[in-house]
Amino acid sequence: MSANLKPVRIADDVFEFRVETSRHAQALANELRSATIAEDVVAGLDRVAIRFAPDRAKQVEAWLLEIQSIQVAEKTDLPVIEIPVQYGGEFGPDLTSICEAMDLSEQAFIELHTETEYLVEMIGFTPGFSYISGLPDAFKIPRLGTPRSRVPAGSIGISAAFTGIYALAGPGGWPLIGRTQDTLFDPNALEPFRLHPGQRVKFKAV
Amino acid sequence: MLRIMKAGLQSTLQSAPRLGHRHLGIPYAGPADPLSMALANRLVGNSSEAPCIEITFGGFEAEVLAECAVASTGAAGHLFVSNEERTPHSTWHLRKGDKIKIDVPEVGARTYLAIRSGFKARALFGSTSTYLPAAFGGHEGRALQADDVLASNGAAAFNETLQTPETLRPTFTHAFALRTCSSGESDLLAPESRAALFGETFSAGRQATRMGLSLEGHTLSVASDGKMKSAPVFPGTIQCPPSGTPIVLLCDAQTTGGYPRIAAIARCDRHLLGQIRPGDQVTLLHRTPEAALNDFAEKQALFDTWLLSGG
Repeated sequence: MSANLKPVRIADDVFEFRVETSRHAQALANELRSATIAEDVVAGLDRVAIRFAPDRAKQVEAWLLEIQSIQVAEKTDLPVIEIPVQYGGEFGPDLTSICEAMDLSEQAFIELHTETEYLVEMIGFTPGFSYISGLPDAFKIPRLGTPRSRVPAGSIGISAAFTGIYALAGPGGWPLIGRTQDTLFDPNALEPFRLHPGQRVKFKAV
Repeated sequence: MLRIMKAGLQSTLQSAPRLGHRHLGIPYAGPADPLSMALANRLVGNSSEAPCIEITFGGFEAEVLAECAVASTGAAGHLFVSNEERTPHSTWHLRKGDKIKIDVPEVGARTYLAIRSGFKARALFGSTSTYLPAAFGGHEGRALQADDVLASNGAAAFNETLQTPETLRPTFTHAFALRTCSSGESDLLAPESRAALFGETFSAGRQATRMGLSLEGHTLSVASDGKMKSAPVFPGTIQCPPSGTPIVLLCDAQTTGGYPRIAAIARCDRHLLGQIRPGDQVTLLHRTPEAALNDFAEKQALFDTWLLSGG
């Protein structure tokens, strides 16, 4: 794979690679970040962007053109993180309408959502917001027509194929199914983020 | 040392952007207009990114609690010290009891107030800049409010009285022309939409925040299936949601987004984004990345003759 690794300019000071999966994106981003030549290396779900200081344009371009392949680690050895969730009610105000749309009881939904092992694909959007894949195919939930202006920290939403956790309070457009009381982002902690890309996650109803 | 009497619509402490943490979802923050902030800092002998107060749409008043040197730059409005009008772009030597007043500007959106040695603020993820949505950095992670007391970093005296050279004072109007490059999904723009993006004059939308501002007046058509996966975005990225109204991202921009990225404001003109007011006219000038970086180098060299001199 990766025969086509070619940096594309997405701004005068940003290059971007298109890759196959979020695992490739994370692996490439980690490798590029460790070289500390760039101002910032950011992985999307299938892209990696590299922003650079303007006086380094030529050096950065030459460096990126040399990249031929991505070394993806075979298997993550991070432990499965269990996240306790209060489903429905005030914690997941959209659970009822989602269940109606899917023709499921809330109990059946919760069983489906808690039996799967998930993967944190990406952190992005806002501090610590995690894009977590692994939803069963039956889940095809569109985003809210109008985003909420504020969702509480720990809110858990689903959209398309992803479960997302709002690590901090803020605006949000994902339909909410529940909330965790676990702290996922503490800016003052030595390790501010609980979840990282590549981590496996299970949800537990409480 | 200052005590805030009126904080205005939104005043925050800003210093360097928080580079290198976007992969954790942590935006840059920092000044919306870094050039104006650097010019303010220069007038009190600070490095360009020493913590300043960024004041949005004026309405700011503060009492001086201890002798200090300060300077103000950015959006142009009337400035007073103890009811006496003062000029921007010059060092003010203030005494205990003086009162600073920054009126609502007539043009531009943000005024910067620098103090000798910079304002004291808490660093987090490598910067003291305030990031309001996550409530960290700056002064207790929040916008300033009346009765906040802000200390400076150290008591080093500053006895010089400086003025920004006339030719280096940015002047703002209600029209902005911004050099702009193509971006990741520029090819999805319909030909007439591309012509409109780089040919028509847009009007800045009513929501002009530190996260972004919309460009209104011409609806664009993007050949998107709505299934684009979340991709990296940066300050300067222009996204086009299904509504067809483009959104320019600013300093507090989110780190990833799922809308097509149709263009990117070039680095040489990104500082101007912080001075655009709702209703201001915006035109985009297409540049190749190479031309845009050359323009940046020229602009930087010009300002560095002043910013890096002395001290």
